[in-house]
Amino acid sequence: MREEIISTKNEAMAQIMDADSSAELEELRISYLGRSGKLTSLIKRLKEIPGEERKEVGILINDSKSAIESLLAEQKNKLGEVAREWFDPTIPGIKPKRGHLHLITKAIGEISETFKQIGFVRVRYPEAEWDWFAFEGLNMPKAHPARDEWETFFVDTSAHPTYGQIVLTPHTSSGQIREMKRVKTPPIRMINIAKCYRRQIDASHVPMFHQFEGLVIDKGISVAHLKGTLDYFARNFFGKERKTRLRPFHFQFTEPSFEVDVTCGICLGKGCKVCKEGWLELGGAGMVHPTVLKNGGIDPKVYSGFAFGWGVERTYMMKSGLSIPDIRLLYSSDLGFLKQF
Amino acid sequence: MDIKIPDTWLRDFLKTKATSSEVAKYLSLSGPSVEKIEKSVYFIEVTTNRVDIASVVGVAREAAAILPQFGVKARLQPVKLPLLKFSNKVGYLEAEVNHNLCPRFSAVLIKNVQIGQSPDWMKDRLAAVGVRPINNVVDISNYVMHELGQPVHTFDYDKIRGAKMILMESRKGERLTTLDGKTHTLSGGDIVIEDGEGRLIDLAGIMGGGNSAVDEGTKNVLLFVQTYNPVNIRQTSMSLAQRTEAATLFEKGLDPELVTDGIGRGIELFVKLTGGKAEKEILDIYPNPYKAKKVTTDIDFIASRLGTGVEKEKISQILRSLGFETAWRGKILEVLVPSFRAGDIEIPEDVVEEIARLYGYHNLPSELMPGDLPEPLKDAPFGFEEKVKNILKGYGGVEVYTFSLVALEEAPTGLKLKNPLGKESEYLRTSLMPSLLTAARQNAGEKEPFHLFEMANVYLPKKGDLPDEKMTLGGIVGELNVKSEIFSEDAAHYLPNRHIYLKVKGKILGEFGELSQGYLYYEFDAEALREAYREIESFKPIPKYPAQIEDLTFSFPSRTKIGEVIDYVFSSNKSVAKMELGDIYNENYTFRLWYQHPDKTLTDIEVEKVRNQLTKGLKNKFGAIVKS
Repeated sequence: MREEIISTKNEAMAQIMDADSSAELEELRISYLGRSGKLTSLIKRLKEIPGEERKEVGILINDSKSAIESLLAEQKNKLGEVAREWFDPTIPGIKPKRGHLHLITKAIGEISETFKQIGFVRVRYPEAEWDWFAFEGLNMPKAHPARDEWETFFVDTSAHPTYGQIVLTPHTSSGQIREMKRVKTPPIRMINIAKCYRRQIDASHVPMFHQFEGLVIDKGISVAHLKGTLDYFARNFFGKERKTRLRPFHFQFTEPSFEVDVTCGICLGKGCKVCKEGWLELGGAGMVHPTVLKNGGIDPKVYSGFAFGWGVERTYMMKSGLSIPDIRLLYSSDLGFLKQF
Repeated sequence: MDIKIPDTWLRDFLKTKATSSEVAKYLSLSGPSVEKIEKSVYFIEVTTNRVDIASVVGVAREAAAILPQFGVKARLQPVKLPLLKFSNKVGYLEAEVNHNLCPRFSAVLIKNVQIGQSPDWMKDRLAAVGVRPINNVVDISNYVMHELGQPVHTFDYDKIRGAKMILMESRKGERLTTLDGKTHTLSGGDIVIEDGEGRLIDLAGIMGGGNSAVDEGTKNVLLFVQTYNPVNIRQTSMSLAQRTEAATLFEKGLDPELVTDGIGRGIELFVKLTGGKAEKEILDIYPNPYKAKKVTTDIDFIASRLGTGVEKEKISQILRSLGFETAWRGKILEVLVPSFRAGDIEIPEDVVEEIARLYGYHNLPSELMPGDLPEPLKDAPFGFEEKVKNILKGYGGVEVYTFSLVALEEAPTGLKLKNPLGKESEYLRTSLMPSLLTAARQNAGEKEPFHLFEMANVYLPKKGDLPDEKMTLGGIVGELNVKSEIFSEDAAHYLPNRHIYLKVKGKILGEFGELSQGYLYYEFDAEALREAYREIESFKPIPKYPAQIEDLTFSFPSRTKIGEVIDYVFSSNKSVAKMELGDIYNENYTFRLWYQHPDKTLTDIEVEKVRNQLTKGLKNKFGAIVKS
C-alpha cells in the first residue's frame, strides 16, 4: 500500500502544478481529497492493515494529505487575478448590533479604577441632602457669602430641626462628614462619585453633573501627601508625562485651600492656544479644616487630612481631548451622538 | 469676586521692575489668581476670605510680599495721607451710632465743592475698571473704593436736616427710596440712618437715600466712611437683591483701620479736584480700636502639615513680609495678626497656609501617604451596576444620562424645588419612564430599531426625612416589531394585558411591558435586582450521556398562557432537560425539547414514553393538540 500512497501523492502533486485555474484546482481537490477521492479511499482501507504497520502507514497518508493540501493552497495563491475565484473584500459586512456605554460611565469607571490602585474605597452618599452636610457642617453658616459660589437648589419641604433644609447637593463634599461618621476611626481613603446639581445652564454648565471627591484622613497627613496623590492621579489617568501644581485658593472647609492645575496635554506645559500658559484648571483641593473634622467626630489634634472634588465631565474632557463644544450634548439622547463612543 | 486692576495704577503703590506678566504669574502661584491681562489690566479672582486684596493697594501689598520670594525686587509704596485730626465730637454733625452695627463711623464736612468733570487720568482709570465716570464727587467715591477697597459715600450736607444722624436697625415695614429711584420696604434688621427730622436718608452700606443724594446744585458734601457689621449688610443686600459693589465689600467684613486711609484719601482728592475745603476735625466714632490678635503655633505642627521642615528664620521672614509680627519661644511661634487680616487668620492652620504659599507649593515634596489601607465597603453595589450595564451593552443597548429634574406631570408625586430653573425642571423624578420616553421620541427618525437604557437614582418622598434614593434601571426599546405576549397585571401607561411585574420571593424587582406610545419599556429596582443576584451558581456536573433532541408542534386554544405550559412540562417530567420555544405560526407553537437522563443514554422507546406522557398531559391540562 505504501507505493500506492506515494504514487497517488506524486500524481496529485504533478497535476496540481500544471493546473492554471481555480476551477481546475477545485476539481483536483475533489478527486484526491473529496469524499470518494483517491487518497480518501486509501484512508478507508487503513483498517485492513495489521497492527504495528497500520500506524506507520497512517502517518504516511496524513503527511501526503498535508502535502497535497498545502500545494493546493500555494498554487491557488500563484494564480493570476483573472484565473482566481472572485471575491470582493470591500463589500460592507453584516455588522453585529453594538451597544454603547455613556462617556460618563466610562469616565467614572476609569477614575474609580485609578484611585482603587492606591487603596481608595468608592462610596456614594445622598444627592438630596440636609443643608448641614452640604454647608453648615462644612464650616459655612447660613448667611456666609462663600455660599454664593454654589448656586444651590432647595427642596420645598419643611426643614429638619437640626440639619436644616433639604438641598440638592451642589458638590460631593457633602459626603465628607457622612464618610467620617461611617468609618469613625481613620484611616479614611474615600472616593465619592455622585450627581450634583447647580442652578446654572450654558455651554459649559448644566444643572446636573457629576463630581468625584477624594478624602484622606490619617495621622500625619500633609500637603506633600496631597501632592503625591494628585501627581499619581495625573500620571495614571492623564498620561505619565503629565504633572500637577497647586495654587492658593479658599474654601471654608479646607485650610490651606488650593486650586489644582494639570499640565496641558497638547503642549505639555510650554503654553499653547488651548491652555493658560501650559496649565489647565482641574478643580479645588485642600487640607481638611479642623472644624470639619470635629463635625465628623474626628479629633483634629490626632488626625489630619486632605480632600479634593472635581467635575467628572470636565476632567474626562481634559483627558480625552474630546472637543465637545457644548457640555449639554453629554446629556442629549441623540443616538447620532451616543453611538460615537 | 472678580476685580480689575490697571497696571499703571498698581505701580503707584508697587515699586518693581517686574513685567506685568511676571507679576501675574507670581501672584497666581502664591496669592490671588490672575485670570488674564487685557489692555494692561489684570483680571483677578479674589476669594471671599481675602477682601483685603480686593483693591489696588491690597494687590500691591500682596505682590510686594510675593515677588521677592521668586527673586524679583519689589517694594510697597504706602498710601500718602495729609495730616488728619480725628475727634469723636464735631460741631457740624451730631451722630448717634449703634456700635454693634457700625464699629467705626467717620465723616467730614467739605464746603464749597465745585461739581464738574473729573480729570482724564481719573476717568481713564475708572473706565478701565468698568466704572462709568459721572462727575468729580461720584468719581472720587468710586476711585477711593477701587484704590483702597473701602467704600466711601457722600451726602449733600444741606439735605441732612438738623445736622444730625442716627445710625440704627430698621423696623419692619419701613420704606426707603435709594438714589437709583427704587423704593424698598424693609424687613427689619437693616442698617439705616435717620436725620434730625426722622427721615431715613441712607440704606447704610448698600446705597444712599434719594433724599440726601448729591446733585448738580450741591455745595457742601459730607464725606462718609464707615465699617459695618457684615452679617446685617449681607442680609439686606440679599433680601432686597441690591448687590452693589459696596455691599459685596462690606459683607465680607472690612478692616476698621482702613477707614483712616479712606477718609484721608477722600479729603485729599476733594480738595484737589473740587476746590472744596475740608473741616479741620474729622468726626471719628471708633470705641474699640483694633488690638492685634495673637495666634500660637509651633515648628513641629508647621512641618507636619507641610510634609517638610522650614527654618525658623524663613518662617519669620515670610510672615513679616505679609505684615505679621512674629516671636519665637523655643519651638513655639507667636504670631500677631495685622488688622487687615484679622477676619481671615484665626487658627494655626491659617498661619500654615501663609507660610506654605509664600514658601512655594512647588517647593514642597510630593509623596504618597504611608499607613494602613481602609477596609473595603461592605456590600458595595458598584461592580454589580457595571455588570448590568455591560450586559445591556452586549444586547446592543445604548446608555443615556438624562436630567433627574422633570415637569410636574412627569412626577406628580415627586418632590418640588423651591427655586427651579423653570417649569420643565421643577420636580425630582420618581421614575425614569418620562425621561426615557422623551429620549425615545428624540430619536423618532431612526430607521433601525434601538434600545436605550439608563441607571440612575429616582427620588421618592418620605415624610420628615430625606427622600429615598432608589437606584433604578430603566430601558426603552423603540420601533421593534416584536410579537411577544405579555401577561399579568395591567398598569398605568401600559397597554392592557401587556405588562408584567417580575418578582422574587414576593418582592417586586421590576416591571416590563408595552407602552401606549408603542415602545417596550422596562424598569428595575437595581438594589432589589442585586439582592436577588447570585455571583456564582453552585456547580452542576456536565451530563455524561447525550440528550435526544426533537421538535414538537402543538396547537393551543386561544388565550392559553405559554409560560404556564412550559412550567408544566418541567414540573411534570424529570427527563426534559431543556425546552425552547421556536416558531409561532397561526396558534401553532413549535418547541425544541432535550430529553436527557443523568445516568444513561435514553433509548428510543424510553423517549417515546416520555413524549406520550407529555402530550397526554398537555392535552388534558391545556387542550393542546400535537401537530407533528
